[in-house]
Amino acid sequence: MQIEQAASFPYRKPPTESTSAHFPDKNTVTEPLRDDSREKFYERYIQKREGKLREEWGSKRAEKEAKMKANEGQIFRHPIDLLQSEDEEDLSEFAKQIPIGHDRNYASIIQTMEKMIMENDLYMEDLLELSLEALGTSTTGNGSSCKGEVVVPDQFPAGLRVLVVDDDITCLKILEQMLRRCMYHVTTCSQATVALNLLREKKGCFDVVLSDVHMPDMDGFRLLELVGLEMDLPVIMMSADGSTSAVMRGISHGACDYLIKPIREEELKNIWQHVVRKKWNENKEHEHSGSLDDNDRHKRGSDDAEYASSINEGAEGFLKTQKKRRDAKEEDDGELENDDPSAAKKPRVVWSVELHQQFVSAVNQLGIDKAVPKRILELMNVPGLTRENVASHLQKFRLYLKRLSGVAQQQGGIPTSYCGPVEQNAKLGSLGRFDIQALAASGQIPPQTLAALHAELLGRPTGNLPLMRCPSNISKQFPQTVITAEDVHSGLGAWPSNALSAVGPSSNLGGLVAQSGNILTGMLHHQPQQPRQQQQQKQKQSMLQEPSRSINVQPSCLVVPSQSSASFLAGKSPAAVNQNCSFNRSSAIDYSLLSPQSNNSSSGVGQLSNGNLKMTSVLNGYAGPASISQSVSSCSMNADNGGDRQLQNSALASSAPRQLPGLAPNMCNIQGSYSTKSGQVLDQGPLRNLGFVGKGTSIPSRFAVDEPESPMSNLNYGKIYGENYGSKVKQEPSMDFIENAKVGIPILQNLSPNDLMSVFSE
Amino acid sequence: MDVVSQLQRQFVDHTTSLYREKGFLDDQFTQLQKLQDDSNPEFVVEVVSLFFEDSQKLLNNLASALQQQIVDYKQVDAHVHQFKGSSSSIGAQRVKNVCVGFRNCCEEKNLDGCVRFLQLLEHEYTLVKSKLETLFGLEQKILAAGGSVPMMA
Repeated sequence: MQIEQAASFPYRKPPTESTSAHFPDKNTVTEPLRDDSREKFYERYIQKREGKLREEWGSKRAEKEAKMKANEGQIFRHPIDLLQSEDEEDLSEFAKQIPIGHDRNYASIIQTMEKMIMENDLYMEDLLELSLEALGTSTTGNGSSCKGEVVVPDQFPAGLRVLVVDDDITCLKILEQMLRRCMYHVTTCSQATVALNLLREKKGCFDVVLSDVHMPDMDGFRLLELVGLEMDLPVIMMSADGSTSAVMRGISHGACDYLIKPIREEELKNIWQHVVRKKWNENKEHEHSGSLDDNDRHKRGSDDAEYASSINEGAEGFLKTQKKRRDAKEEDDGELENDDPSAAKKPRVVWSVELHQQFVSAVNQLGIDKAVPKRILELMNVPGLTRENVASHLQKFRLYLKRLSGVAQQQGGIPTSYCGPVEQNAKLGSLGRFDIQALAASGQIPPQTLAALHAELLGRPTGNLPLMRCPSNISKQFPQTVITAEDVHSGLGAWPSNALSAVGPSSNLGGLVAQSGNILTGMLHHQPQQPRQQQQQKQKQSMLQEPSRSINVQPSCLVVPSQSSASFLAGKSPAAVNQNCSFNRSSAIDYSLLSPQSNNSSSGVGQLSNGNLKMTSVLNGYAGPASISQSVSSCSMNADNGGDRQLQNSALASSAPRQLPGLAPNMCNIQGSYSTKSGQVLDQGPLRNLGFVGKGTSIPSRFAVDEPESPMSNLNYGKIYGENYGSKVKQEPSMDFIENAKVGIPILQNLSPNDLMSVFSE
Repeated sequence: MDVVSQLQRQFVDHTTSLYREKGFLDDQFTQLQKLQDDSNPEFVVEVVSLFFEDSQKLLNNLASALQQQIVDYKQVDAHVHQFKGSSSSIGAQRVKNVCVGFRNCCEEKNLDGCVRFLQLLEHEYTLVKSKLETLFGLEQKILAAGGSVPMMA
């Protein structure tokens, strides 16, 4: 990628050692980006970045950058690389860059790391997030901190707090000396029972435990089990017995590692990796508590951190019922501002319409795949806004988009105030906030809006959004939620409250919305919307013409269009088309749902022209008539414009009149390649919250249900943004965005194609 | 200086014999020596002393265990295992090797074998103990004479 040279800022090297959490290198993720657009993006970005750097960090920084440019030939080892390196030199190199306070708070380490990452603007955010979690919380979580003990040296992983348990005093002494030389903080214990008490009394005072296997008072494995259960610390076993069976026993008991005596100092040096790895894995587990595939995650490494942080934030503030239970550590997430894991959450940022507009425009500018919180933050340039805020907002937004694609559900009437948590859709999962259904239902989000937004986000001109083609069989019962294109143009005028407040989009968005609106409208009205849509589209085209950012939406679920189609029409089919979505990256499933008739043939769904935006929305769990949901599943839209994106949004595509009730639950897996993170499966939860509405903001008007389509737009919106999220769409009944969500579901019935359409305004 | 270099030579010879010729000590002992630093100048001596204490206890336990009417081989094995661990940590190679054989006898519940191994163990232990004591003595003499202890690669 040229960017590397052009920008001359160091990119993280792909991790070569698989010691710790292995994040896929963002740069190696396959993204069907067009080179030129990418270049353009980067150019823009670099300029911006450099300018920003000067601003923010002063001329010094700029100088440094210039110097780096000059020294392009030199190999820059990114701090994280250094950190992961096993080379002592590297570690000390790394350590030099990190000033660490005397209280050896890992969180402060992470802060520094994050700052460094920000400065280097690498794709380390996710890694950092997790590091924060891993290191920032592990030491300080669980209560009392063990400050007041010996001040530890300043270099990570120095100061790692190790508890050694061995009945052999000779070994104990040797280990102690070795660990001290590794700059760890050592506590020794010759009795397992004493060690256990020590661990219990001083929870949070140790990072890792080294234990001998054979001990008189307690079997080492028993200790291992107890420690794992009670304190969840990594435990490393040691023994003179190096037989395979013994090692196997250790592993089966859950030991992080098994060292064979005599132990060498080198072996002890790297035990910190177990601490970090454990934390990271824990984070990952929590992230994926939903139904999403792990595939998604792996494929979208770069989003992970954001996801994690967003999740955490979301969990804190927004998730209500469905929220995955996380332990305090993760909720507290060791993000920058949060050294103390149990500290109070940061004050919530109210995402006003304007703010959201800025956000969306920033996202558009960056491109879905490049829209990482840090950059968005920079582009937005809002004082007082933190990266975490952006990250969580982005997450929701993505979820919302995802939801959108799968929406079209039953809407019950979109609550006007999306402030209220959307509880209705327990199954919203990650998309919780985006209760597209709800939105759709309430007609808060005009399809055009959704589509437009979607298109916008996707950077695709809202070409032939397949949705457009959907016949307007959308029942009219749809409350007029559909916002006309005009509305959209006007900046998403009367969106229903719960609508995507976020839809204060930039012009692009407007176009997007408009488009989606078009689609939805078409769908909703059961009229051939094409002309209108097209026209609207044209109107919006310009707006929506975004440099192509190819978004790969990969169907994460296989939608069963055919079934749905029938049901779609009938409106009775069980919605759960995609209950089991398999993350299918490349399959574009055409949701015939969108087609007015239940023929959710993929063709019907339409080809979203816009490049290759494939949104596969898997609609899961649409409670209602399934048809919709199914349709929502995948619309394949092949944008003509860029051709690089295929939006598959069956749901959207079909303008099936359906009862979109199914939509709601449909999980649209819009796998946009925001960052080639596809496979976002919308969790089974009805896509309630279309609205990627800022929390508390009253976007309502935006997604005002002027037309039946509006809900759809919401869907789109959510979907679009959601797709890249790649993360599982958690079903959170109520996230901010979802708050208005409920809308979709009840309306779904009538929405049908609309909802779907909106999702894929592509 | 003559005295010192003489002592040093003795030291080197002794060490060489310990390591290479007789295999009393292995690389782990070198590791121990490397662990010794200014913050812990007597580290090796301390550790080895601990080892001596520990080993003595273990040997006593072993002897009494084997003298029981009904020998608890598991217990015996546990002791030997421990001995193996500590001796390997010190780098007392031969002792460790004896322990390995000893454990086999325990598994087979071979009393005779165990008794013999215990004797062998005691013998080896005594040997390495005296060797190490000599080594330390030489070190101290060198230091007392103002010289520096040669580092053994």
